[in-house]
Amino acid sequence: MTDFRRLTGMFMAAVGLILSTPLASAQQPDRGDEPGLIADDAYQLDPEWQKQVVYFRTTEPPGTIIVSTAERHLYLVQPGGRAIRYGIGVGRDGFQWQGLVTITNKKEWPDWTPPPEMIQRQPYLPRFMAGGPGNPLGARAMYLGTTVYRIHGTNRPDTIGTKVSSGCFRLVNNDVADLYDRVPVGTKVVIRQKPEL
Amino acid sequence: MMRTFRGGLLIGLAVAVLVAVLAIIYEFYDTRTLKRTVRRGEVLCGVNKGLPGFSYSEDNKNWTGFDVDFCRAVAAAIFNDPGKAKFIPLDASERFKELQSRKVDILSRNSTWSMARELDYDLYFPAVAYYDGAGFMLPRSRNKETSLELDGSKVCVQAGTTTALNVADYFKANNMKYDEVKFNNLADVVKAYDTGKCDTFSADVSQLYALRLNLTKPGDHMILPDMISKEPLAPVVRQRDDDWMMIVKWTLYAMINAEELGVTSENIDEALKSKKPEVMRLVGTEGNYGEQLGLTKDWAVRIIRHVGNYGEMYERNIGEKSKLKIPRGMNQLWNAGGVQYAPPMR
Repeated sequence: MTDFRRLTGMFMAAVGLILSTPLASAQQPDRGDEPGLIADDAYQLDPEWQKQVVYFRTTEPPGTIIVSTAERHLYLVQPGGRAIRYGIGVGRDGFQWQGLVTITNKKEWPDWTPPPEMIQRQPYLPRFMAGGPGNPLGARAMYLGTTVYRIHGTNRPDTIGTKVSSGCFRLVNNDVADLYDRVPVGTKVVIRQKPEL
Repeated sequence: MMRTFRGGLLIGLAVAVLVAVLAIIYEFYDTRTLKRTVRRGEVLCGVNKGLPGFSYSEDNKNWTGFDVDFCRAVAAAIFNDPGKAKFIPLDASERFKELQSRKVDILSRNSTWSMARELDYDLYFPAVAYYDGAGFMLPRSRNKETSLELDGSKVCVQAGTTTALNVADYFKANNMKYDEVKFNNLADVVKAYDTGKCDTFSADVSQLYALRLNLTKPGDHMILPDMISKEPLAPVVRQRDDDWMMIVKWTLYAMINAEELGVTSENIDEALKSKKPEVMRLVGTEGNYGEQLGLTKDWAVRIIRHVGNYGEMYERNIGEKSKLKIPRGMNQLWNAGGVQYAPPMR
Protein backbone atom coordinates (compact mmCIF):
# COMPACT_ATOMS: atom_id res chain seq x y z
CA MET A 1 0.00 0.00 0.00
CA THR A 2 2.68 2.40 1.10
CA ASP A 3 4.78 1.52 -1.91
CA PHE A 4 1.86 2.12 -4.18
CA ARG A 5 1.16 5.47 -2.56
CA ARG A 6 4.77 6.40 -2.80
CA LEU A 7 4.88 5.48 -6.46
CA THR A 8 1.72 7.42 -7.18
CA GLY A 9 3.17 10.33 -5.30
CA MET A 10 6.36 10.26 -7.27
CA PHE A 11 4.51 9.88 -10.54
CA MET A 12 2.24 12.78 -9.77
CA ALA A 13 5.21 14.78 -8.70
CA ALA A 14 7.11 13.99 -11.85
CA VAL A 15 4.13 15.00 -13.98
CA GLY A 16 3.75 18.11 -11.86
CA LEU A 17 7.37 19.02 -12.27
CA ILE A 18 7.39 18.48 -16.03
CA LEU A 19 4.25 20.50 -16.48
CA SER A 20 5.40 23.22 -14.17
CA THR A 21 8.94 23.76 -15.42
CA PRO A 22 8.22 26.38 -18.09
CA LEU A 23 5.71 28.15 -15.90
CA ALA A 24 7.78 27.99 -12.75
CA SER A 25 10.79 29.54 -14.40
CA ALA A 26 8.63 32.53 -15.25
CA GLN A 27 7.48 32.75 -11.62
CA GLN A 28 9.48 33.82 -8.65
CA PRO A 29 11.47 30.91 -7.24
CA ASP A 30 9.17 29.20 -4.77
CA ARG A 31 11.04 27.66 -1.90
CA GLY A 32 7.87 26.64 -0.14
CA ASP A 33 6.09 23.95 -2.06
CA GLU A 34 8.12 21.51 -4.03
CA PRO A 35 6.11 18.44 -4.86
CA GLY A 36 8.15 15.33 -5.29
CA LEU A 37 11.19 16.42 -3.35
CA ILE A 38 12.04 13.78 -0.76
CA ALA A 39 12.67 15.20 2.69
CA ASP A 40 16.14 14.83 4.07
CA ASP A 41 15.15 13.99 7.64
CA ALA A 42 18.78 14.01 8.78
CA TYR A 43 18.90 17.75 7.99
CA GLN A 44 20.38 19.63 10.95
CA LEU A 45 18.28 22.56 12.09
CA ASP A 46 19.90 25.60 13.69
CA PRO A 47 19.73 25.33 17.50
CA GLU A 48 17.02 27.97 17.57
CA TRP A 49 14.67 25.83 15.48
CA GLN A 50 15.37 22.53 17.22
CA LYS A 51 12.74 21.00 19.44
CA GLN A 52 13.44 21.88 23.06
CA VAL A 53 11.81 22.41 26.45
CA VAL A 54 11.83 26.08 27.42
CA TYR A 55 10.51 28.17 30.29
CA PHE A 56 7.30 29.70 29.03
CA ARG A 57 4.95 31.85 31.04
CA THR A 58 1.40 31.92 29.81
CA THR A 59 -2.18 32.13 31.00
CA GLU A 60 -3.16 29.29 28.64
CA PRO A 61 -3.59 25.87 30.25
CA PRO A 62 -1.13 22.99 29.63
CA GLY A 63 -1.92 21.18 26.38
CA THR A 64 -2.62 24.38 24.45
CA ILE A 65 -0.65 25.10 21.27
CA ILE A 66 0.59 28.67 20.87
CA VAL A 67 1.98 29.67 17.48
CA SER A 68 4.13 32.78 17.43
CA THR A 69 4.36 33.82 13.81
CA ALA A 70 6.89 36.60 14.34
CA GLU A 71 9.23 34.33 16.32
CA ARG A 72 8.66 31.26 14.04
CA HIS A 73 8.09 29.11 17.09
CA LEU A 74 5.29 26.75 18.04
CA TYR A 75 4.83 26.14 21.76
CA LEU A 76 3.02 23.21 23.32
CA VAL A 77 2.25 24.42 26.85
CA GLN A 78 3.40 22.08 29.64
CA PRO A 79 2.79 22.20 33.39
CA GLY A 80 5.28 23.97 35.67
CA GLY A 81 5.87 27.11 33.57
CA ARG A 82 7.37 25.20 30.68
CA ALA A 83 6.59 24.50 27.04
CA ILE A 84 7.95 22.29 24.29
CA ARG A 85 9.13 24.63 21.58
CA TYR A 86 9.41 23.68 17.91
CA GLY A 87 10.85 25.70 15.05
CA ILE A 88 8.34 26.35 12.28
CA GLY A 89 8.00 27.87 8.83
CA VAL A 90 5.15 30.37 8.50
CA GLY A 91 3.15 32.20 5.85
CA ARG A 92 4.89 34.73 3.68
CA ASP A 93 3.96 38.40 4.09
CA GLY A 94 0.30 38.84 3.30
CA PHE A 95 -0.37 35.19 4.10
CA GLN A 96 -0.18 35.48 7.86
CA TRP A 97 -3.17 35.32 10.10
CA GLN A 98 -4.07 35.15 13.76
CA GLY A 99 -6.85 33.82 15.90
CA LEU A 100 -8.13 31.05 18.08
CA VAL A 101 -8.96 27.68 16.49
CA THR A 102 -9.03 24.02 17.50
CA ILE A 103 -7.57 20.95 15.88
CA THR A 104 -10.47 19.38 14.01
CA ASN A 105 -8.78 16.47 12.29
CA LYS A 106 -5.48 14.58 12.22
CA LYS A 107 -3.97 12.69 9.30
CA GLU A 108 -0.83 10.61 8.84
CA TRP A 109 1.00 11.05 5.50
CA PRO A 110 -1.83 13.27 4.28
CA ASP A 111 -2.85 13.62 0.65
CA TRP A 112 -2.52 17.11 -0.71
CA THR A 113 -5.26 18.89 -2.62
CA PRO A 114 -4.05 22.45 -3.04
CA PRO A 115 -7.09 24.74 -2.54
CA PRO A 116 -8.35 26.63 -5.64
CA GLU A 117 -6.92 29.99 -4.50
CA MET A 118 -3.50 28.39 -4.23
CA ILE A 119 -3.81 26.86 -7.73
CA GLN A 120 -4.73 30.28 -9.04
CA ARG A 121 -1.58 31.79 -7.58
CA GLN A 122 0.69 28.88 -8.41
CA PRO A 123 -0.85 27.19 -11.46
CA TYR A 124 2.04 24.76 -11.79
CA LEU A 125 0.99 22.93 -8.60
CA PRO A 126 -0.57 19.50 -8.95
CA ARG A 127 -4.35 19.29 -8.50
CA PHE A 128 -3.92 16.32 -6.20
CA MET A 129 -0.99 14.55 -4.69
CA ALA A 130 -1.16 11.35 -2.68
CA GLY A 131 0.51 11.28 0.74
CA GLY A 132 4.10 10.15 0.98
CA PRO A 133 7.67 11.32 1.43
CA GLY A 134 7.58 13.54 -1.67
CA ASN A 135 4.45 15.35 -0.52
CA PRO A 136 4.99 18.93 0.70
CA LEU A 137 2.66 18.26 3.65
CA GLY A 138 5.16 15.75 4.99
CA ALA A 139 4.51 13.07 7.56
CA ARG A 140 1.54 14.45 9.49
CA ALA A 141 -1.15 17.10 9.25
CA MET A 142 -3.37 18.65 11.90
CA TYR A 143 -6.36 20.56 10.55
CA LEU A 144 -6.99 23.99 12.03
CA GLY A 145 -10.70 24.68 12.59
CA THR A 146 -12.62 25.01 9.35
CA THR A 147 -9.78 26.89 7.65
CA VAL A 148 -7.72 25.62 4.73
CA TYR A 149 -4.68 25.90 7.00
CA ARG A 150 -2.84 23.02 8.65
CA ILE A 151 0.03 22.35 10.98
CA HIS A 152 1.97 19.90 8.86
CA GLY A 153 5.33 18.33 8.09
CA THR A 154 7.51 19.26 5.15
CA ASN A 155 9.83 17.95 2.51
CA ARG A 156 11.86 21.14 2.79
CA PRO A 157 13.49 21.21 6.27
CA ASP A 158 15.58 24.17 5.15
CA THR A 159 12.43 26.35 5.12
CA ILE A 160 12.01 26.07 8.92
CA GLY A 161 12.53 29.51 10.44
CA THR A 162 11.44 31.30 7.27
CA LYS A 163 8.20 32.76 5.95
CA VAL A 164 7.40 30.95 2.73
CA SER A 165 4.09 29.15 3.11
CA SER A 166 0.59 30.11 2.05
CA GLY A 167 -0.50 30.42 5.67
CA CYS A 168 0.19 26.92 6.99
CA PHE A 169 2.64 26.15 9.76
CA ARG A 170 5.26 23.57 8.84
CA LEU A 171 7.56 21.54 11.10
CA VAL A 172 10.23 19.02 10.13
CA ASN A 173 8.80 15.52 9.86
CA ASN A 174 10.29 14.23 13.12
CA ASP A 175 8.87 17.21 15.02
CA VAL A 176 5.44 17.10 13.45
CA ALA A 177 5.19 13.38 14.27
CA ASP A 178 6.23 14.14 17.86
CA LEU A 179 3.64 16.91 18.19
CA TYR A 180 0.99 14.73 16.49
CA ASP A 181 1.33 12.09 19.20
CA ARG A 182 0.99 14.66 21.98
CA VAL A 183 -2.15 16.54 20.92
CA PRO A 184 -5.67 15.15 20.49
CA VAL A 185 -8.40 16.47 18.21
CA GLY A 186 -10.02 19.39 20.05
CA THR A 187 -6.71 20.93 21.16
CA LYS A 188 -6.88 24.70 21.44
CA VAL A 189 -4.53 26.53 19.07
CA VAL A 190 -3.72 30.22 19.60
CA ILE A 191 -2.07 31.92 16.63
CA ARG A 192 -0.27 35.11 17.56
CA GLN A 193 1.08 37.60 15.12
CA LYS A 194 3.09 40.74 15.46
CA PRO A 195 0.81 43.78 15.54
CA GLU A 196 0.61 45.77 12.32
CA LEU A 197 1.69 49.37 12.21
CA MET B 1 13.61 117.08 48.69
CA MET B 2 17.14 115.84 48.18
CA ARG B 3 16.75 113.53 51.11
CA THR B 4 13.68 111.88 49.75
CA PHE B 5 15.41 111.31 46.42
CA ARG B 6 18.42 109.71 48.09
CA GLY B 7 16.20 107.61 50.31
CA GLY B 8 14.25 106.44 47.29
CA LEU B 9 17.44 105.56 45.49
CA LEU B 10 18.69 103.57 48.45
CA ILE B 11 15.45 101.66 48.78
CA GLY B 12 15.49 101.00 45.07
CA LEU B 13 19.04 99.72 45.22
CA ALA B 14 18.27 97.53 48.19
CA VAL B 15 15.33 95.99 46.37
CA ALA B 16 17.43 95.39 43.27
CA VAL B 17 20.18 93.68 45.27
CA LEU B 18 17.67 91.60 47.17
CA VAL B 19 16.01 90.45 43.93
CA ALA B 20 19.37 89.57 42.43
CA VAL B 21 20.42 87.60 45.51
CA LEU B 22 17.11 85.78 45.62
CA ALA B 23 17.42 84.96 41.93
CA ILE B 24 20.89 83.54 42.45
CA ILE B 25 19.74 81.49 45.44
CA TYR B 26 16.73 80.30 43.46
CA GLU B 27 18.92 79.23 40.56
CA PHE B 28 21.29 77.48 42.91
CA TYR B 29 18.67 75.61 44.84
CA ASP B 30 16.28 75.08 41.98
CA THR B 31 15.19 71.55 42.57
CA ARG B 32 13.85 70.84 39.14
CA THR B 33 16.08 68.14 37.71
CA LEU B 34 14.86 68.54 34.14
CA LYS B 35 16.00 72.17 34.07
CA ARG B 36 19.36 71.34 35.61
CA THR B 37 19.85 68.40 33.24
CA VAL B 38 19.08 70.50 30.18
CA ARG B 39 21.42 73.25 31.34
CA ARG B 40 24.18 70.74 32.02
CA GLY B 41 23.62 69.03 28.67
CA GLU B 42 23.72 65.48 30.05
CA VAL B 43 21.85 63.05 32.28
CA LEU B 44 23.79 61.75 35.27
CA CYS B 45 22.93 58.07 35.72
CA GLY B 46 23.77 56.17 38.88
CA VAL B 47 24.51 52.57 37.88
CA ASN B 48 25.84 49.33 39.33
CA LYS B 49 29.62 49.00 39.34
CA GLY B 50 29.48 45.69 37.54
CA LEU B 51 26.54 43.37 36.91
CA PRO B 52 26.82 41.65 33.50
CA GLY B 53 23.72 42.19 31.39
CA PHE B 54 22.44 45.05 33.51
CA SER B 55 25.32 47.43 33.94
CA TYR B 56 28.85 46.60 32.96
CA SER B 57 31.99 48.38 31.82
CA GLU B 58 35.58 47.25 31.42
CA ASP B 59 37.07 50.70 31.21
CA ASN B 60 34.52 52.91 32.99
CA LYS B 61 33.74 54.54 29.63
CA ASN B 62 31.89 52.09 27.44
CA TRP B 63 28.92 50.87 29.42
CA THR B 64 26.51 48.13 28.37
CA GLY B 65 23.43 46.62 29.93
CA PHE B 66 19.72 46.84 30.50
CA ASP B 67 19.91 49.49 33.25
CA VAL B 68 22.47 51.44 31.22
CA ASP B 69 20.26 51.37 28.12
CA PHE B 70 17.28 52.62 30.08
CA CYS B 71 19.23 55.67 31.17
CA ARG B 72 20.32 56.19 27.55
CA ALA B 73 16.64 56.13 26.61
CA VAL B 74 15.96 59.00 29.02
CA ALA B 75 18.88 60.94 27.51
CA ALA B 76 17.59 60.20 24.00
CA ALA B 77 14.12 61.49 24.91
CA ILE B 78 15.58 64.80 26.13
CA PHE B 79 18.58 65.40 23.86
CA ASN B 80 17.90 63.10 20.87
CA ASP B 81 21.31 61.65 21.69
CA PRO B 82 21.82 58.54 23.84
CA GLY B 83 25.46 59.58 24.24
CA LYS B 84 24.31 62.38 26.54
CA ALA B 85 24.03 59.89 29.40
CA LYS B 86 26.93 59.90 31.84
CA PHE B 87 27.37 56.85 34.02
CA ILE B 88 28.41 57.08 37.63
CA PRO B 89 28.99 53.75 39.35
CA LEU B 90 27.50 53.62 42.84
CA ASP B 91 27.74 51.15 45.70
CA ALA B 92 24.62 49.48 46.98
CA SER B 93 25.04 51.02 50.41
CA GLU B 94 25.44 54.60 49.19
CA ARG B 95 23.14 54.71 46.18
CA PHE B 96 20.06 56.27 47.79
CA LYS B 97 22.03 58.91 49.64
CA GLU B 98 23.93 59.81 46.50
CA LEU B 99 20.66 60.30 44.67
CA GLN B 100 19.27 62.34 47.54
CA SER B 101 22.35 64.61 47.54
CA ARG B 102 21.93 65.18 43.77
CA LYS B 103 25.12 63.47 42.74
CA VAL B 104 22.99 61.75 40.09
CA ASP B 105 19.72 62.61 38.32
CA ILE B 106 18.42 59.08 38.25
CA LEU B 107 19.29 55.72 39.74
CA SER B 108 19.09 53.01 37.11
CA ARG B 109 20.65 50.35 39.20
CA ASN B 110 18.79 47.09 39.91
CA SER B 111 17.09 48.52 42.99
CA THR B 112 14.08 46.78 44.47
CA TRP B 113 11.07 49.02 44.87
CA SER B 114 9.72 48.79 48.40
CA MET B 115 7.51 50.93 50.59
CA ALA B 116 10.19 51.45 53.21
CA ARG B 117 12.67 52.73 50.66
CA GLU B 118 10.28 55.32 49.25
CA LEU B 119 9.42 56.52 52.74
CA ASP B 120 12.85 56.35 54.40
CA TYR B 121 14.78 58.13 51.69
CA ASP B 122 12.11 60.48 50.33
CA LEU B 123 12.42 58.85 46.92
CA TYR B 124 10.08 57.71 44.20
CA PHE B 125 10.20 54.57 42.02
CA PRO B 126 8.28 55.62 38.88
CA ALA B 127 7.68 52.22 37.22
CA VAL B 128 8.95 48.63 37.26
CA ALA B 129 11.62 48.04 34.62
CA TYR B 130 12.27 44.39 35.48
CA TYR B 131 10.32 41.94 37.62
CA ASP B 132 12.84 39.90 39.55
CA GLY B 133 12.58 37.52 42.50
CA ALA B 134 14.68 35.18 44.55
CA GLY B 135 15.15 31.76 42.98
CA PHE B 136 17.41 28.73 42.90
CA MET B 137 20.30 27.55 40.75
CA LEU B 138 21.33 23.91 40.84
CA PRO B 139 23.26 21.36 38.79
CA ARG B 140 21.21 20.01 35.87
CA SER B 141 22.21 16.50 36.95
CA ARG B 142 20.02 16.83 40.05
CA ASN B 143 17.01 16.68 37.77
CA LYS B 144 14.59 18.89 39.71
CA GLU B 145 11.48 20.40 38.17
CA THR B 146 10.48 22.92 40.82
CA SER B 147 11.82 24.41 44.03
CA LEU B 148 9.26 22.35 45.95
CA GLU B 149 11.56 19.35 45.40
CA LEU B 150 14.43 20.92 47.35
CA ASP B 151 13.56 19.42 50.76
CA GLY B 152 16.69 18.55 52.75
CA SER B 153 19.03 20.62 50.53
CA LYS B 154 22.14 22.46 51.55
CA VAL B 155 21.43 26.03 50.38
CA CYS B 156 24.21 28.54 49.70
CA VAL B 157 23.24 32.17 50.38
CA GLN B 158 24.96 35.46 51.01
CA ALA B 159 24.66 36.48 54.67
CA GLY B 160 22.76 39.65 55.51
CA THR B 161 20.67 39.70 52.32
CA THR B 162 16.91 39.55 52.01
CA THR B 163 17.44 36.31 50.09
CA ALA B 164 18.48 34.53 53.29
CA LEU B 165 15.21 35.65 54.90
CA ASN B 166 13.16 34.71 51.85
CA VAL B 167 14.66 31.22 51.78
CA ALA B 168 13.86 30.75 55.46
CA ASP B 169 10.23 31.84 54.91
CA TYR B 170 9.83 29.70 51.81
CA PHE B 171 11.10 26.47 53.34
CA LYS B 172 9.06 27.02 56.48
CA ALA B 173 5.88 27.80 54.56
CA ASN B 174 6.27 24.60 52.54
CA ASN B 175 7.17 22.35 55.46
CA MET B 176 10.64 21.63 54.11
CA LYS B 177 13.99 21.45 55.86
CA TYR B 178 17.30 22.87 54.65
CA ASP B 179 20.81 23.63 55.83
CA GLU B 180 21.99 27.16 55.32
CA VAL B 181 25.57 27.62 54.07
CA LYS B 182 26.35 31.31 54.59
CA PHE B 183 29.19 33.58 53.49
CA ASN B 184 29.57 37.32 53.82
CA ASN B 185 31.18 37.79 50.44
CA LEU B 186 29.28 36.94 47.27
CA ALA B 187 32.42 35.57 45.58
CA ASP B 188 32.78 33.05 48.41
CA VAL B 189 29.20 31.90 47.95
CA VAL B 190 29.81 31.33 44.24
CA LYS B 191 33.00 29.42 44.98
CA ALA B 192 31.32 27.24 47.58
CA TYR B 193 28.55 26.37 45.14
CA ASP B 194 30.95 25.77 42.27
CA THR B 195 33.02 23.36 44.35
CA GLY B 196 29.94 21.41 45.39
CA LYS B 197 29.74 22.54 49.01
CA CYS B 198 25.98 23.02 48.64
CA ASP B 199 23.17 21.49 46.59
CA THR B 200 21.65 24.75 45.47
CA PHE B 201 22.40 28.47 45.40
CA SER B 202 19.76 31.08 46.12
CA ALA B 203 19.84 34.72 45.03
CA ASP B 204 17.77 36.98 42.79
CA VAL B 205 17.13 35.16 39.53
CA SER B 206 18.71 37.86 37.34
CA GLN B 207 21.82 37.65 39.51
CA LEU B 208 21.90 33.85 39.27
CA TYR B 209 21.93 34.05 35.45
CA ALA B 210 24.82 36.53 35.60
CA LEU B 211 26.79 34.54 38.19
CA ARG B 212 26.30 31.33 36.23
CA LEU B 213 28.62 32.76 33.55
CA ASN B 214 31.51 32.65 36.04
CA LEU B 215 31.12 28.99 37.02
CA THR B 216 33.60 26.40 35.75
CA LYS B 217 30.93 24.73 33.59
CA PRO B 218 28.00 27.16 33.14
CA GLY B 219 26.13 24.72 30.90
CA ASP B 220 25.90 22.13 33.67
CA HIS B 221 23.72 24.38 35.83
CA MET B 222 20.11 25.49 35.55
CA ILE B 223 17.97 28.10 37.21
CA LEU B 224 14.50 26.96 38.25
CA PRO B 225 11.61 29.03 36.87
CA ASP B 226 9.99 29.59 40.29
CA MET B 227 10.47 32.84 42.14
CA ILE B 228 9.98 32.83 45.90
CA SER B 229 9.89 36.59 46.51
CA LYS B 230 8.93 39.83 44.79
CA GLU B 231 11.84 42.01 43.72
CA PRO B 232 10.49 44.63 41.34
CA LEU B 233 13.54 46.45 40.00
CA ALA B 234 12.84 50.06 39.13
CA PRO B 235 14.61 53.32 38.36
CA VAL B 236 14.58 55.82 41.22
CA VAL B 237 14.18 59.61 41.33
CA ARG B 238 13.76 62.20 44.09
CA GLN B 239 10.31 63.08 45.42
CA ARG B 240 8.68 66.45 44.69
CA ASP B 241 10.28 66.63 41.27
CA ASP B 242 7.23 65.75 39.23
CA ASP B 243 8.36 66.91 35.79
CA TRP B 244 11.40 64.69 36.00
CA MET B 245 9.52 61.74 37.47
CA MET B 246 6.99 61.95 34.60
CA ILE B 247 9.78 61.84 32.01
CA VAL B 248 11.40 58.77 33.57
CA LYS B 249 8.08 57.00 34.01
CA TRP B 250 6.80 57.63 30.50
CA THR B 251 10.14 56.81 28.90
CA LEU B 252 9.74 53.27 30.23
CA TYR B 253 6.04 53.13 29.36
CA ALA B 254 6.72 54.40 25.83
CA MET B 255 9.18 51.54 25.35
CA ILE B 256 6.70 48.95 26.64
CA ASN B 257 3.85 50.40 24.57
CA ALA B 258 6.10 50.43 21.51
CA GLU B 259 6.73 46.72 21.88
CA GLU B 260 3.02 46.05 22.29
CA LEU B 261 2.26 48.05 19.14
CA GLY B 262 5.07 46.38 17.17
CA VAL B 263 7.12 49.57 16.79
CA THR B 264 10.86 48.82 16.74
CA SER B 265 14.09 50.66 16.03
CA GLU B 266 14.00 49.02 12.61
CA ASN B 267 10.51 50.05 11.51
CA ILE B 268 10.31 53.42 13.26
CA ASP B 269 10.26 55.34 9.97
CA GLU B 270 7.41 53.19 8.76
CA ALA B 271 5.64 53.83 12.08
CA LEU B 272 5.82 57.57 11.45
CA LYS B 273 3.57 57.02 8.42
CA SER B 274 1.13 54.78 10.30
CA LYS B 275 -2.56 55.67 10.34
CA LYS B 276 -3.32 53.63 13.46
CA PRO B 277 -4.36 56.08 16.21
CA GLU B 278 -2.38 54.31 18.96
CA VAL B 279 0.79 54.32 16.88
CA MET B 280 0.19 57.94 15.85
CA ARG B 281 -0.08 59.04 19.47
CA LEU B 282 3.12 57.15 20.32
CA VAL B 283 5.19 58.64 17.53
CA GLY B 284 3.66 62.10 17.96
CA THR B 285 1.93 62.44 14.59
CA GLU B 286 -1.20 62.96 16.69
CA GLY B 287 -1.47 64.77 20.02
CA ASN B 288 1.22 66.72 21.82
CA TYR B 289 2.10 64.53 24.78
CA GLY B 290 5.81 65.16 24.28
CA GLU B 291 5.36 68.89 24.64
CA GLN B 292 3.25 68.42 27.75
CA LEU B 293 6.17 66.47 29.22
CA GLY B 294 8.42 69.43 28.53
CA LEU B 295 10.03 67.63 25.59
CA THR B 296 9.31 67.51 21.85
CA LYS B 297 6.52 65.82 19.93
CA ASP B 298 8.87 63.10 18.71
CA TRP B 299 10.26 62.24 22.15
CA ALA B 300 9.22 58.58 21.89
CA VAL B 301 10.58 58.30 18.34
CA ARG B 302 13.95 59.43 19.67
CA ILE B 303 13.88 56.72 22.35
CA ILE B 304 12.89 53.96 19.96
CA ARG B 305 15.24 55.01 17.19
CA HIS B 306 18.30 55.15 19.44
CA VAL B 307 17.62 52.50 22.06
CA GLY B 308 14.70 50.44 20.76
CA ASN B 309 11.50 49.22 22.39
CA TYR B 310 11.35 47.29 25.67
CA GLY B 311 11.71 43.89 24.01
CA GLU B 312 14.72 45.01 21.97
CA MET B 313 16.40 46.37 25.09
CA TYR B 314 15.66 43.11 26.90
CA GLU B 315 16.84 40.75 24.15
CA ARG B 316 20.01 42.68 23.41
CA ASN B 317 21.21 42.71 27.01
CA ILE B 318 19.74 39.78 28.90
CA GLY B 319 17.49 37.79 26.53
CA GLU B 320 17.92 34.43 24.85
CA LYS B 321 20.35 35.74 22.26
CA SER B 322 22.55 37.46 24.84
CA LYS B 323 25.15 35.79 27.02
CA LEU B 324 22.82 35.68 30.02
CA LYS B 325 19.89 33.94 28.26
CA ILE B 326 17.20 34.92 30.76
CA PRO B 327 13.76 33.82 29.48
CA ARG B 328 11.27 36.72 29.30
CA GLY B 329 9.13 35.03 31.98
CA MET B 330 7.26 37.58 34.07
CA ASN B 331 8.76 40.38 31.98
CA GLN B 332 6.82 39.23 28.95
CA LEU B 333 4.04 41.65 27.93
CA TRP B 334 0.73 41.26 29.73
CA ASN B 335 -0.99 39.99 26.55
CA ALA B 336 1.57 37.22 26.15
CA GLY B 337 1.50 35.75 29.65
CA GLY B 338 3.73 38.21 31.52
CA VAL B 339 3.00 41.19 33.75
CA GLN B 340 4.69 44.06 31.85
CA TYR B 341 1.79 46.40 31.36
CA ALA B 342 2.02 50.06 30.43
CA PRO B 343 -0.93 52.43 30.82
CA PRO B 344 -2.24 53.61 27.46
CA MET B 345 -0.93 56.79 25.89
CA ARG B 346 -4.11 58.72 25.31
